Amino acid sequence: MGYKLGIDTGGTFTDFVVFREDGTWELSKTASTPEHPPKAIREGLLQICDGLKVDQKEFLANCDYIIYGTTVGLNSLIQHKGAKLGLFCTKGHQDSLELRLAHKEDGHRYDFYYPPAEMLVPRWLRIPVEERVNAAGEVLTPLKEEDVRAGIQKFKEAGVDSVGVCFLWSFLNPTHEKRVGKIIREEFPDAYLTLSVDVLPQIREYTRVSTTAVNGFVGPVLRNSIQEIESMLHDMGYRNPIRYMQCNGGISSGDFISRKAVYAINSGPAAGPTASLFFGERAKLSNLLTLDMGGTSTDISIVQDGQVDIVKNLEVERYLLGIPLVNVVNIGAGGGSIAWLDAQRILRVGPQSAEAIPGPACYGQGGTEATVTDALSVLGYLNPDYLLGGAFKLDRDAAHRAVREKVAEPLGLTMERAALGVFDVVNSNMIGGIRAVSVERGYDPRDLVFVAGGGATSAFLGRLAADLDVKRVLIPKVASGLCAFGEAIADVKHSHMATYITHFSKLDLGRLNGILSDLESTGRKDLEGEGFSPEDIAIQRFMEIRYADQIHECTVPIPFQGELSEENVGKVKELFHRRHEEIYTYCEPDNEPELVNVEVNGIGLTRASSRAVGQAQKKGAGESVAAGRRAYFPENKDYVEVPVYDGRHIKVGQSITGPAIIEEPTTTIVVFPDWKIELKPASYYFMTR
Amino acid sequence: MSSQGKEKRKVDPITLAVVRGSLETTQRQMTLTMERTGRSSVVAVSRDFSNAIFNWTPEMIVQGQDLPIHLGSLILATQTISKYFKDNIEPGDVIIHNDPVYDGSHTLDWCQYKPVYFENEIVFWLVSKGHMADGGGPVPGGYNPDATEIYAESLRIPPIKIIEAGKLKKDLFNLLVTNVRTRENISGDLRAQLGALRVGERNLLALLKKYGKEEVKACVSELLNLSERHMRGLIQELPDGVHRGQAMVEDIGHGLGDQPVDVEVEVEGDGMKIRLEAPPQIPFYTNSYRANTTSAAYLGLVMFMKPEPPYNEGMYRPIELDYGPHGTMVNAKEPAPHVASTTCPAETVTDAVRNTLAAAYPGRASAGWGHCSAINVSGIDPRSQAEYVHMMVSTLACGAGAVEGLDGWHGVGPQAGLGGATCGEQEQLEYGYPLIVHDYSITKDSAAAGRFRGGCGVTCEVEPVGHEMTVVVWGEGRKYPASNTEGAKSVWIDNKLCQVELINEDGSVETILENKVLKIRPGQRIRTTSAGGGAVGPPLARDPRAVAGDVLNEKVSVEGARVEYGVVIDPKSHQVDEVATTKLRAESQDKVHHGL
Repeated sequence: MGYKLGIDTGGTFTDFVVFREDGTWELSKTASTPEHPPKAIREGLLQICDGLKVDQKEFLANCDYIIYGTTVGLNSLIQHKGAKLGLFCTKGHQDSLELRLAHKEDGHRYDFYYPPAEMLVPRWLRIPVEERVNAAGEVLTPLKEEDVRAGIQKFKEAGVDSVGVCFLWSFLNPTHEKRVGKIIREEFPDAYLTLSVDVLPQIREYTRVSTTAVNGFVGPVLRNSIQEIESMLHDMGYRNPIRYMQCNGGISSGDFISRKAVYAINSGPAAGPTASLFFGERAKLSNLLTLDMGGTSTDISIVQDGQVDIVKNLEVERYLLGIPLVNVVNIGAGGGSIAWLDAQRILRVGPQSAEAIPGPACYGQGGTEATVTDALSVLGYLNPDYLLGGAFKLDRDAAHRAVREKVAEPLGLTMERAALGVFDVVNSNMIGGIRAVSVERGYDPRDLVFVAGGGATSAFLGRLAADLDVKRVLIPKVASGLCAFGEAIADVKHSHMATYITHFSKLDLGRLNGILSDLESTGRKDLEGEGFSPEDIAIQRFMEIRYADQIHECTVPIPFQGELSEENVGKVKELFHRRHEEIYTYCEPDNEPELVNVEVNGIGLTRASSRAVGQAQKKGAGESVAAGRRAYFPENKDYVEVPVYDGRHIKVGQSITGPAIIEEPTTTIVVFPDWKIELKPASYYFMTR
Repeated sequence: MSSQGKEKRKVDPITLAVVRGSLETTQRQMTLTMERTGRSSVVAVSRDFSNAIFNWTPEMIVQGQDLPIHLGSLILATQTISKYFKDNIEPGDVIIHNDPVYDGSHTLDWCQYKPVYFENEIVFWLVSKGHMADGGGPVPGGYNPDATEIYAESLRIPPIKIIEAGKLKKDLFNLLVTNVRTRENISGDLRAQLGALRVGERNLLALLKKYGKEEVKACVSELLNLSERHMRGLIQELPDGVHRGQAMVEDIGHGLGDQPVDVEVEVEGDGMKIRLEAPPQIPFYTNSYRANTTSAAYLGLVMFMKPEPPYNEGMYRPIELDYGPHGTMVNAKEPAPHVASTTCPAETVTDAVRNTLAAAYPGRASAGWGHCSAINVSGIDPRSQAEYVHMMVSTLACGAGAVEGLDGWHGVGPQAGLGGATCGEQEQLEYGYPLIVHDYSITKDSAAAGRFRGGCGVTCEVEPVGHEMTVVVWGEGRKYPASNTEGAKSVWIDNKLCQVELINEDGSVETILENKVLKIRPGQRIRTTSAGGGAVGPPLARDPRAVAGDVLNEKVSVEGARVEYGVVIDPKSHQVDEVATTKLRAESQDKVHHGL
């Protein structure tokens, strides 16, 4: 009897999705305990075992896998509470991290009070080392080891517990960086060590040093947290390895993520598209857009042709990360986002949020600001007695007061127009984010099916879809725990990369094949070390290509296995031209492009996705119409009585026409007029227009 | 510029909020398109470009997050361009232009303008302005210090339809790119601009389709009115008065001496008049035509007033800008050479306006940013035998000015860009060009001293690899440091300035004060130091712990702490010696009182 458990820690809730041997799953949630995440895990386990009616020891002893999506790394970055970090840099370039390419972020051009980003390593702990490698990978200046030894002494005196090394051109010639790594391991073995060639062996020294610094800053914090959770779970009787969600969309071992902690940053949202893909496959759909709305923000991501969209060089909390990660665009609009009037009295929503405390006004915890949830409440979309699975009783008066005082009266609007207006503004923010992951990446949003994540999303998703001319929406019953679900079914994934810059006309095929096969064999070895047999290992390969003199590359998958022929390379080049046109509206087929980087993903197939069947359905007889409620729809220009269904009693195949509301234990679905919805076998609703 | 919104239509506040967001997203997407598809380093790496959206009038309705020095000039330019063809504009046209006589900023900034038609009328104008890596003329990358007339600077483009009714005029396009170095890259940049205009048009048409022309137009007018009202409210807070000030444009090689820019600001009620005056134009490239002067003056105004977003032309409606007589250094006429003008004298004009307001109305401090001094490098890459031209943005990344409560950012300037440009990754530069960057780091003691200090300048050291490199030295800021305010004052001036030095093989150093073109070979290096930012408030009032932090991080030396801030720091422990500091500060205070 093997259980499988996905745990996802969010800002407000920690979500648990448990799979039984028969492929059915259940979702449960507990309040997060940010100051001590293991506490929420303990409480969640009690709740799960209660629900499953099994003894906790027995449950853990029969658990094959636990997959954990942790926010410890991200929180460490947000709060600037991380390791005391020291950095060795090429002399003359020690300030690259602080100068940040001489750029002040867009959005703050005329904000003279906007402070610079907090330094993860202050200047006095960035030690310039005499050494230099040139653009051809040749050593110009040999490594001066005295600089390193003196630096280590300084670090020890300063109480440094984490050391990073990032030298110029180290990805072409890592001798100096590796030598410094060896000296540190010998003379300062207690320090957490990050070499830039280990986390990001690719061109761009600022991106590399920034990635190195983030890894070194959050690494020790994450490692300690992982050790604590692993020993807690093992003490409680769990005997198998714990795996961790990564921002590249795959999972990995605790040992791996402890060393490459940067992969744990923003990992939770990265599981969203994996979950969407699962439901998409059941619905025979391969172009999906996931909207996962939490309390303070919404994560938007895309699946195109069954592939999760991966990008590099994203800023997270003002720190640039060069590693490949799932393209998740975060919009500062969530259920708790506050509606406000700016200096010119124009309505805005977010990014400020009412957070968990006091929360939206309708939570009745003393909040007075009008939030997105309050607008939902005014429109009659939320169950007054059953908010967040019964955790709150809705204070509709407070919601009305907030919307009236903060939006309707100052702007001279009716209550309904004000509440809908909050939506329109949120939707227009969302549309910006949706464009960023679709149009800007060469995809037409009208071809996409929207997938709901988060408890509140399904209350407005139909309206948003209609705004974008999207006709199909998929709502998993597990929407409010979508990431935990995605984590539980994800595969293991390790990203390996190397730089090989060359015009295609001068490409040395032998060298390219050598690099690819080295990366591939490292990938296979890593996975075999984690217990995967050869038939459970898959390899994905990519080239990053650009036109000469361009600064940004396009990632193109290599659709061949094994050694590449001239012809294969020609085909990849062709794919590049096509991809360039998709994204940038033009290509130059006569122009010989340039290869920049190659990348290999080692995938360890867990086969979890293919074993999953559906959410455990409680046997419930009786009528599915629970009650009626008055709700406002602009199409009707007034409040109308709409049927409200209890989702737990809806049968597979049952079809409902809007206007209607469906209440799942942790999700409210508003079926707008012109839409109809049907429950499908793998525990998801499909809503069409 | 001071036309009042006439539209009476009452707008729906929700639609207004949505239209505002859509316009900003559209401008942002145009900028992303340029950045991702631009081909020359000055566009794709340095982000030396700007995009803006205008209404049918045309008035600028989104002043985006790009370079401030580009944006004010577009206000005049788009008016001029839209009138130039009279009624002879049709859907699908794109107009290209760079000439300052037609209100361009300088001839290196090429602009493309696209009218957006909806229901048979122009509802919007989209504009994309980009600094081209080269504009033709005798000096690679422009900036010819020997030009005495505009004809000797670079190719001039009066308003021309480069695309007529959707059809690219290939012969004209060819004429333009035939006149410039690195034609492939420039062609790529021009295509990137067209891509940006297409992306902008697509978004705006969707907006018009959804809300209807009249509703969108009403919202646009309302956005301008709101910005105007906001700025008028801010001006109203200032007591009425007439104030005069002056700032100096350095002599950077013409031998005619420093030149003053005089400003008179008249605040009356909720309006403001800014009158500029400068000496007659000179046969040297530091003359500014009026559109560029507009950008510079508006920037000074915005740095002082600090209005809240959204930013659009409405905020300039209360301002009456008088450039003084035609034919001066701030209101130049043909044939004045002008290519340096987007930084020099622009940054001085900005200082003059801001400092005059700051002196008249204390307590709203915003110190000056460092001025631009830079090098462009060019030559034949021995690896490919291809010609290259590159503007080294790392050399012009100055310290930002402080404001009350916040020290300036390091190495993010110059003032004309407010942090909008970027210097690119140094490895990419070393890969793309035959050079090596030996140093790119924060300069100790370069920030102006004050209660809130300026940001530090940056030292940059570059050497050619395997070929003779042409180095064009341009800019200024080598004589006057960034402007301080509210009693800030540095003791050491020299290390707050921009510097350019030639380091020879034998280690000897030649300081270059004047702008010129030189050739250097491997073994020789050019070292530049960008200026630190200006400070706010008296340095003796700076928190000694903040000074100690700067000393620990080698942004201020131990000696600098003592001399500039009256703070005594133990060189070993980096702790403040409280007793010695109190004593030293008391003595220094006495000296200040006695005017020593």
